[in-house]
Amino acid sequence: MHTTLGYLFTVEWAVYLGGALFMELVWRPLQRHVPPAQTGVLCQSMGRRYRWVAFTCLGLIATTGIAWRAIGGPATVWQTAALAGAWIVLVILVAAMGLLVHPLSHARLRPGEDRAELRIRRLRSIRVMDVLLRVELACALIGALVAVWPHGSGPGPAI
Amino acid sequence: MTASWVSILAAYLHLLAVAVYVGGSVAMEVILGPAQRYVPPAQAQVLAQRSADRFLVLVWSSLALLPASGMLLFFSLSDQKLVTSGGIFSTGSGRTLLAMMALWAVLVVNGALITFVYRPRLASKASGRAGGAAVGAQLQTMQQAATWVSRLTRIDLAVALVVVLLGASLAYGNGIL
Repeated sequence: MHTTLGYLFTVEWAVYLGGALFMELVWRPLQRHVPPAQTGVLCQSMGRRYRWVAFTCLGLIATTGIAWRAIGGPATVWQTAALAGAWIVLVILVAAMGLLVHPLSHARLRPGEDRAELRIRRLRSIRVMDVLLRVELACALIGALVAVWPHGSGPGPAI
Repeated sequence: MTASWVSILAAYLHLLAVAVYVGGSVAMEVILGPAQRYVPPAQAQVLAQRSADRFLVLVWSSLALLPASGMLLFFSLSDQKLVTSGGIFSTGSGRTLLAMMALWAVLVVNGALITFVYRPRLASKASGRAGGAAVGAQLQTMQQAATWVSRLTRIDLAVALVVVLLGASLAYGNGIL
């Protein structure tokens, strides 16, 4: 049971962290080679998919983590608390990006608004999105470090 | 540096390598791949090529990091007699470790096939001067290469997930083989 839950927990973290690293190390530099109009279309589609992948991973991480803790998993109390804290921050960040900032970066003209104002509004939300993505990646990296930290019981690290 | 710091560093690097390989492959398949349908085909091809170029650097880095950090983790946490006294064949953890190394070799071979055999075929350009038949043959070669790249990428993801399962069985038990 420990092996199964450990496997699921590792795969879920790996998919989440790997997705965040992929966006930072592959997609961000790639944007420089794509025409701006197509970057917008790609960002919209990828952002939507990334949101669902991230939410699914975070949901599964919570389910697996709670189940593992319930059967006496290897994590210590401070590790569980730190991982739960990182998880809450990540959920808030993904929700803020997916449901608030991402739609704003593709906002349409409001009545009485000119194109310059719309452009400023979009650029501002893109800048916020960039910052949030990096904070998300930093949180995921810290969460992974907490998970591999040694603990008092069990045969191996939490991940 | 004490042994526990070595094992923490090794475990962290090992997890990062797994995350880059597994998570990156999932992101390529589930996030970037389907999004390319929304841009014109020529632009999608450029995008696929550039993203694959960047991703292959990450793939090779993680393939190099996996055995290095794995060995460091193994020797900092386990009994080294497992390897020296023939326990690698007679114990569950030894056999699991051997299976992980064999599957890692499969990933390296597949990665080499993609990088050095199929990707150059995809990147080659058909010349109109050679005639319609030659262009047709070239396009067919490129299509076959694209099919093989896609097939091998999916096989790699499946193999990597089995490697993670074997790794989890070592981390939380004594192996499953």
